[in-house]
Amino acid sequence: MSGLALPSKRGTVVADVMMVGRQLRYEQLNFWRNRFGAVFTVGFSVIFLVMLAMSGATHRAAAIGNIALIQYYVPGFAAYGLMSACYNNLGISMVIRRETGLLKRLRLSPIPSWALVGAILANAAVISIVQVILLLLIGRYGYNVVLPHVWAPFVLAIAVGVVAFTALGAAVSTLVRSQESAGPIVSIIFFVLLFLSGLWFPLTPGSGLAKLANYFPIHHLILATAAPFDTAPGASPYAWHDLLVVAIWGAAGLIVAIRRFQWEPHRH
Amino acid sequence: MVSAAQVAVEVDGLSKRYGTLEAVRSVSFAVERGEVFALLGPNGAGKTTTVEILEGFRSRDAGTVSVLGHDPSGRPRALRERLGIVLQELAVEPNLTVREVLTRNAGYYPSPRPVDEVIALVGLEGKASSRIARLSGGQQRRLDVGLGIIGRPELIFLDEPTTGFDPSARRGAWDLVRALQEGGTTIILTTHYMDEAEALADRVAVIARGQIVALGPPSSIGGRDVSEATIRFRMPPGVAASDLPVPARAIGEFAELTSADEIESLHRLTGWALERALPLTGLTVERLTLEDVYLRLTAGSDGAGSIGAPTEQLSASVGGRR
Repeated sequence: MSGLALPSKRGTVVADVMMVGRQLRYEQLNFWRNRFGAVFTVGFSVIFLVMLAMSGATHRAAAIGNIALIQYYVPGFAAYGLMSACYNNLGISMVIRRETGLLKRLRLSPIPSWALVGAILANAAVISIVQVILLLLIGRYGYNVVLPHVWAPFVLAIAVGVVAFTALGAAVSTLVRSQESAGPIVSIIFFVLLFLSGLWFPLTPGSGLAKLANYFPIHHLILATAAPFDTAPGASPYAWHDLLVVAIWGAAGLIVAIRRFQWEPHRH
Repeated sequence: MVSAAQVAVEVDGLSKRYGTLEAVRSVSFAVERGEVFALLGPNGAGKTTTVEILEGFRSRDAGTVSVLGHDPSGRPRALRERLGIVLQELAVEPNLTVREVLTRNAGYYPSPRPVDEVIALVGLEGKASSRIARLSGGQQRRLDVGLGIIGRPELIFLDEPTTGFDPSARRGAWDLVRALQEGGTTIILTTHYMDEAEALADRVAVIARGQIVALGPPSSIGGRDVSEATIRFRMPPGVAASDLPVPARAIGEFAELTSADEIESLHRLTGWALERALPLTGLTVERLTLEDVYLRLTAGSDGAGSIGAPTEQLSASVGGRR
């Protein structure tokens, strides 16, 4: 059963938007109450940042224009947190929702499908934004990170990242057939690409690894979120090229997700 | 004839194929408002596909379907607001509580039942604040039923509602189905349990190989009411089958006969025994059980192949039941 229904004519737009809000509230309750999932998704970005800061990230690095590493790690882990919520957590949870019959059950209930899907996507966005704000606060007050003077480029990068990685999370969920394999498959793709992304160690420009990373969106999202934090004179806060690569991946993910989406479990 | 207002579901010439498999082949039936209608059939017979088409979850290839006056294929929200669906497995966010899930789902419907009323109806009063993940299997099934009735539905689909229930929980579920029917709710039930269909359903449709092979009240389906009765008793000492006043055959220590008029046969048999002061120990009279009829109707179809027996064997085993 693929395809999402258009908004129902029944009921007002306001009532339907309120329905999304209501659904989102329960999505949030369900997410934050799962301590393990919440720590894995939200806690790791904070833990990684603090660990790297403790191991000398306040030093300056030549590879990134002689700015303090922490200045790069804070937006980098904000991007990591975003991807963790939108791609990793959403991808795994969509498989579980589908394979346990949760999507089918809600499909049969009167809630409009677009309101349900909207709430699930909004849930990933809210988790991302909570993490980004948390990491900015830790960076600013824990490590004296210089925050951007103009927020628009950073907000744009986060917005593009949320949309694109949510689409990629939804897309990858359609490629996994059982809930047992959801965690391993989704996470392995994520962590392999993360290690190629230059987040833990800056990539040497021109190296084979850097060339490979260039083809994937994770590296580019990190660059796009880090650009507004670049304190080097003359640096542009808008990384248009990187945003474009992320957006193209997001569009591809959206096409896969829409074409392959199904409401019912694979088992039978 | 029943008028349109009295018909909850009308299905005519419904067909559905998956690739080369004809899952449902020209199925037709109607369910009246307030009726409990059971679909019986082996796994893979097409009952789930049929129900999913009625629910609007699956599309059909041919035929017309009307559910509460709507074509379910477009999944109209106005129809979904009037349906209650209980699936085989509970699928609910594990970290929400019973009350939260019921409250959330109540919000999907225009005039839901009060949450506390539903909690009491399904007997989860002590568990209202428990998370779903911490409920037992039986409690989860009861919540499932609660989610099916929260919207005050006019028509409820129950997919094997008591699978995995202990006997007392089953009786409780049956009482709930009867109470819902008394309240005017139409119920379409799929089940593997013959006693469940017999206890609850006004009418039963037996589906095999994608077709309805029998349809009628459980008391008369498959000719149960007019089928021959089997009379069985222990052969009195010193008596041979040929001595009996009825055409019986000896099966071990027992004598067995089938009769279209068991009153007459019994009268002759007992009169004969009284005259001679012979005992007829272990005397039983049995008609086809619903299970016998079901097995006969679905014999040879997928899923029933291992237990489906040819008719001769079945009639031979009839006397041994109960």
